[in-house]
Amino acid sequence: MDYHLIYDTSLTFIQMLTIAFLAPLASGVTKKTKALLQGRKGASIFQDYNDLRKWWQKETITSPFTGPIFLLAPFIYLLTAFLAAFLLPLAETGLRLADIFVFVGVLAVGRFFMVLASFDAATAFGGMGGSRETFVAVLIEPVLFLSILLLALRTGETTISGMMGVGGLELNVSGILACTAFFILLLAENGRLPIDNPDTHLELTMIHEGMLLEYSGRLLAIIHLASMIKSLLYILLFAFLFLPLDLPLAAKALLTTIAIAIMESLNNKLRLFKIQGYLLATAGLLLLAVVAQ
Amino acid sequence: MIHIKAEGLRGAANVLSHNGRNSLTAMFANDETPLGKGYAVYCLFEDKGEKDIKIVRAQLEPGNELEFPSLTPLFPAAAWYEREIYDLFGIKPLEHPDLRPLVLHEGFPKEFYPMRKTIPCDSHVAGKRDYPLAKAQGEGLFEVPVGPIHAGIIEPGHFCFSQAGEAVLQLDAKLFYTHRGIEKAVEGKSIGGALFMVERICGACSVANAVSFCQAVEKLSYAKVPRRAELTRVVIAEMERLYNHVGDTGNLCAGAGFTVPNAMGARLKEELLRCNEKIAGNRFLRGMIVPGGIHRTLKDEDAKIILAQLTRTENDYRLLTQVLNGQDGFLNRIQKTGIVRKKTAIDLAMVGIGARASGVGRDARKDLAYGIYSELAFDICTETAGDVEARLLVRIKEVAETIKIIRQALSLLAHEPETSICSEKLECRSYEGAWGISESARGSDLHWVMLDEQQNIYRLFVRSASYPNWPALPIAMQGEIIPDFPLVNKSFELCYACLDR
Repeated sequence: MDYHLIYDTSLTFIQMLTIAFLAPLASGVTKKTKALLQGRKGASIFQDYNDLRKWWQKETITSPFTGPIFLLAPFIYLLTAFLAAFLLPLAETGLRLADIFVFVGVLAVGRFFMVLASFDAATAFGGMGGSRETFVAVLIEPVLFLSILLLALRTGETTISGMMGVGGLELNVSGILACTAFFILLLAENGRLPIDNPDTHLELTMIHEGMLLEYSGRLLAIIHLASMIKSLLYILLFAFLFLPLDLPLAAKALLTTIAIAIMESLNNKLRLFKIQGYLLATAGLLLLAVVAQ
Repeated sequence: MIHIKAEGLRGAANVLSHNGRNSLTAMFANDETPLGKGYAVYCLFEDKGEKDIKIVRAQLEPGNELEFPSLTPLFPAAAWYEREIYDLFGIKPLEHPDLRPLVLHEGFPKEFYPMRKTIPCDSHVAGKRDYPLAKAQGEGLFEVPVGPIHAGIIEPGHFCFSQAGEAVLQLDAKLFYTHRGIEKAVEGKSIGGALFMVERICGACSVANAVSFCQAVEKLSYAKVPRRAELTRVVIAEMERLYNHVGDTGNLCAGAGFTVPNAMGARLKEELLRCNEKIAGNRFLRGMIVPGGIHRTLKDEDAKIILAQLTRTENDYRLLTQVLNGQDGFLNRIQKTGIVRKKTAIDLAMVGIGARASGVGRDARKDLAYGIYSELAFDICTETAGDVEARLLVRIKEVAETIKIIRQALSLLAHEPETSICSEKLECRSYEGAWGISESARGSDLHWVMLDEQQNIYRLFVRSASYPNWPALPIAMQGEIIPDFPLVNKSFELCYACLDR
């Protein structure tokens, strides 16, 4: 029995649980900052824990028109989020698990199932949300791979741990361009303004939230937790690989969550069919970053 | 007032409309059978030149079929009024192009006409009828039903979108969900009792409704409203416009997901509502206006409170507009979105900001010069683009004008001697109609009142500002994409309660 393997696996396991445990806090910090920027007091930064507990205690109602995929999708979504949290090599271990393509792919599987589930109840809002989510995802993914290409070119590696071994971006033209571009991707990927508004009640404008309208109770709690984990994973990835600052990881992650709130307060939501131009500009930034390197 | 027989309605309407120069203000029916006169249909046209409203009364002879020639083919603005008349009185507009039910939903029995005098106000009815909505059909098209219950804390309304992908092909709205029958409920009530209910037709224009109603009653009595009362009415009415415009500016930003100015607008509105509470004892300025004048005068300290608040609001609102103007992404959302062309605004006889943003400079304060507005210096703000931005810009300009008006009225009020604030006695003529109008934040609110011999209400008709503007919303949405609907909708700031009167 390999003692190191057990040690590394349990350490990574602890890392996964820690990320899951801290995810609602990251979301809470963003919400609190947004409230302060709007001149409101806002709820406590621990409010998302209360919300999750509230949903967990509530009755779960499902539409009679839904099939098994509707019940299954939240669990798959959560599973992929946990798996991705497991793959992120933050803890110093000897494990070389994650190719970055696997990381992105695992999260894409979760999204795929959520989109399927959004169509399952056959409601107009769910379908609209699902089709828009796909539309945005199709635009995000090529740009995301471009950002990966940048890192791969820099480090000669496609595993996250390999990239991390070389170290994050440096504070130069290329670094700043890539940092800006990935930050925009982070917002887009996690349903933040200016692509999507996570705080709106206007169903007709919703993208990610539109897919969740049919969910309630525990299933809703699971989906929200998965979304929060996914969001924190992107924040950590950004803080680790793209933020060219010489600070501890926790400080960089905190800065990123606050930066998200500031960006959301400075911007309004884009017109739906302007998103492609916005992401095209992001791709342009990344190409420049590749060239500048 | 022109009296004609129902058959001659089109001819008379043509004459009164002055080749389309005068717009149709309202149309309603009145059950005068207890007076031995049968039913009558009244048409009101606004005559800008004479600053007056011209009325034609079309008599339906007792014993004849209950029908009259529809005006909708001539004036599209008549469409809703005539559908309502058919719903509530069972008087059929002949040749109406679209006589689907409007006010009464599926739960009402067929051939039930609630506004007829034979139906008691407390009737309980149940039945089944159809309420068809307009839908586009075809390969690949689908339908998005929204409401009547919405996620926000707003009133009920069902919107039926016919979609080709994200593009809106057609929109039909089903409204009047919580119709309260106030027009019926006030029948037989005293003037004071009716005023109490009139002020509660709509929270956002409760002063405007009270002013319109009181003006109509005052016309029936030749009562002279004291100057001090007229000035106070101006202050109160403009304070109402101010809090609405400021709040609506912030609400518009919610439609574009622009959170900071949205919160700013909410805060500024709240400050104004608290100021209202200080001067009137309630946040919506109710109970200030009574027939013949006002209920209580504004004292010097009230004026000080208002003036101090105006300065604060002016500065903060300027900051809000700067934030909006400095945001290209926001301007991109609101420009060329939800366009209402000038021709549409004229055809639908739109009022308020909806009309003024499309280049129709209609404002009852100038056009009909009611109250004391002719003595005050202010401008009518217009824009020509007819899009969301135009409606926002009109609103922003009007905030400045409104503040100007309040300051003028308060300074005139300060020099006004402490005279009576309400004319003593109201002796009103019975069985005679009179109208009153006032410009609310959303446009003109028109009331038409007829009293019986005990000075109680015989018939009250309310045409609120949202009524002629609602049909413009589906037109503004044609060719837009569905996620822009909340933004377009909020730019009009249409009111459900104003329909559910």
